[in-house]
Amino acid sequence: MTQQEILSTDALPYLDIADADFSIRSQAVLDARDAAWCARTPYGLAVLRYDDVQKMLRHPKLRQGSYRWPAHSGVTGGAFARWWEQMLLSQEGSEHARLRRMANPAFSPKLISSLIPKFQALANRLIDGFAEKGECDFIAEFTEPYATGVICDLLGLPFEKWRELADIAGDMGLALAVSYKRDQATVDAATERLFAYAEELVALRRAEPSEDFIGMLVRANADTDQLSDQELLDMIVLAIFGGIDTTRNQLGLAMAMFIEHPEQWALLAEQPDLARPAVEEVMRVRPTVTWVTREATETFTYNGTEIPQGTTVHLFSQSAASDPAVFETTDFDITAKRKPHFGFGGGTHHCLGHFIARGDMTEALKLLAQRLKNPRFNGEVLWLPDSGNTGATAMPIAFDAA
Amino acid sequence: MKVHVDMSICLLHGQCVIAAPEVFSFDDDGGLVWLAEVDESLAADVEAASDACPEQAIVIG
Ligand code: HEM
Ligand code: SF4
Repeated sequence: MTQQEILSTDALPYLDIADADFSIRSQAVLDARDAAWCARTPYGLAVLRYDDVQKMLRHPKLRQGSYRWPAHSGVTGGAFARWWEQMLLSQEGSEHARLRRMANPAFSPKLISSLIPKFQALANRLIDGFAEKGECDFIAEFTEPYATGVICDLLGLPFEKWRELADIAGDMGLALAVSYKRDQATVDAATERLFAYAEELVALRRAEPSEDFIGMLVRANADTDQLSDQELLDMIVLAIFGGIDTTRNQLGLAMAMFIEHPEQWALLAEQPDLARPAVEEVMRVRPTVTWVTREATETFTYNGTEIPQGTTVHLFSQSAASDPAVFETTDFDITAKRKPHFGFGGGTHHCLGHFIARGDMTEALKLLAQRLKNPRFNGEVLWLPDSGNTGATAMPIAFDAA
Repeated sequence: MKVHVDMSICLLHGQCVIAAPEVFSFDDDGGLVWLAEVDESLAADVEAASDACPEQAIVIG
């Protein structure tokens, strides 16, 4: 059977994930999840249930699926495509393992705990900027500078650099849209600027060794058999690019969930220790990465369905984490004990930055709940499509300052 | 040193297999197997695995 044939079997439900109005939270997705373990889509399959998503995240016949994105978009060459095709997320097997092993120490929970006071200072500083007004655009005035400021802390850059980094990441992000080819000049110029930044940071640490994030990566590179100069820079660029939009979007989604569940916000303000489980519960119900993409490296059979080589498989983190087969209750509840969600993916590509993201979002929610009482929407919220990597691009809110 | 994995929280991500392949591996059925007793010469790898485990399921004794 070819990918074309399996995609035309009527036995499986169909989800048009390419439609701009498609919502990952629609009834159609829930119905499909009830009806079958997977659905057909305009490009490949969508896996809908918890157990199958978990199994397929570590299936030996599936590889990460975005590596071919530049080629799919008609782009060959240029700084972005070169980096994208060679960086950690696009690698598999022993190459992936080698890069990941080298990067691990820089992302270890031990290193992150020393950054917690910086995250708190950053959150307070941003809240100070708008607390008296009683209103703000939560994205422009909090989540975006916070997500980027965290990366500045990680890299040892002053907070003032955040705007520049955010703009570079934004321009690079154009590569992930269907208009990549049209925007290629902008994308590649931004990528080159980010590499120039990374080179400066590395030169500084080589001159003055340190035990921080870049310092740990530079140390791994000292033995260049392990990590080449190019791979070192590729990893730094990935940490910057991979950490900004994800965290910005996830914190915006968190605020939206709490605005819709004010009693949970009040509870969090009373019990700051709930901030950590709150991050997990938000990511279960409203993950920014609503699916991760895989590709079949050879033809194999799963649950009686033959999946031909080359088939794209979308693992729906969103629908898996409300699967009634696994979650008895699925209402948003930051006190509930739950099975883990897939908001950070899973398997060999499980998010490398998750200790950082979990740490910085925990501190942010803790302080926000203390200082912003009774938050509510205060104008039109602008949303990205409710699929793929989702989130708000503008979120006017009002609140009572504590 | 003693190594134990709390299989009630392990999600089989395999980050330990990447970090310390001499100690952790997957069997043919995809189950996780590990050496319960390892030589001190592998201590650094085991610690790296324990740090890297996303579920923090590895207990070093
Ligand atoms: C809330 C914030 C974040 C979310 C929701 C998130 C989500 C994810 C997901 C779902 C993946 C797996 C992609 C796949 O399997 O196809 C991933 C991988 C990755 N993430 Fe994150 N991430 C976040 C923050 C960060 C941060 C702050 C960093 C770095 C500082 C980071 C660095 C990475 C890297 C390097 C990978 C690739 C890992 C590999 O291929 O082995 N992420 N992330
Ligand atoms: S890294 Fe942790 S969760 Fe993953 S297989 Fe090893 S012990 Fe299990």
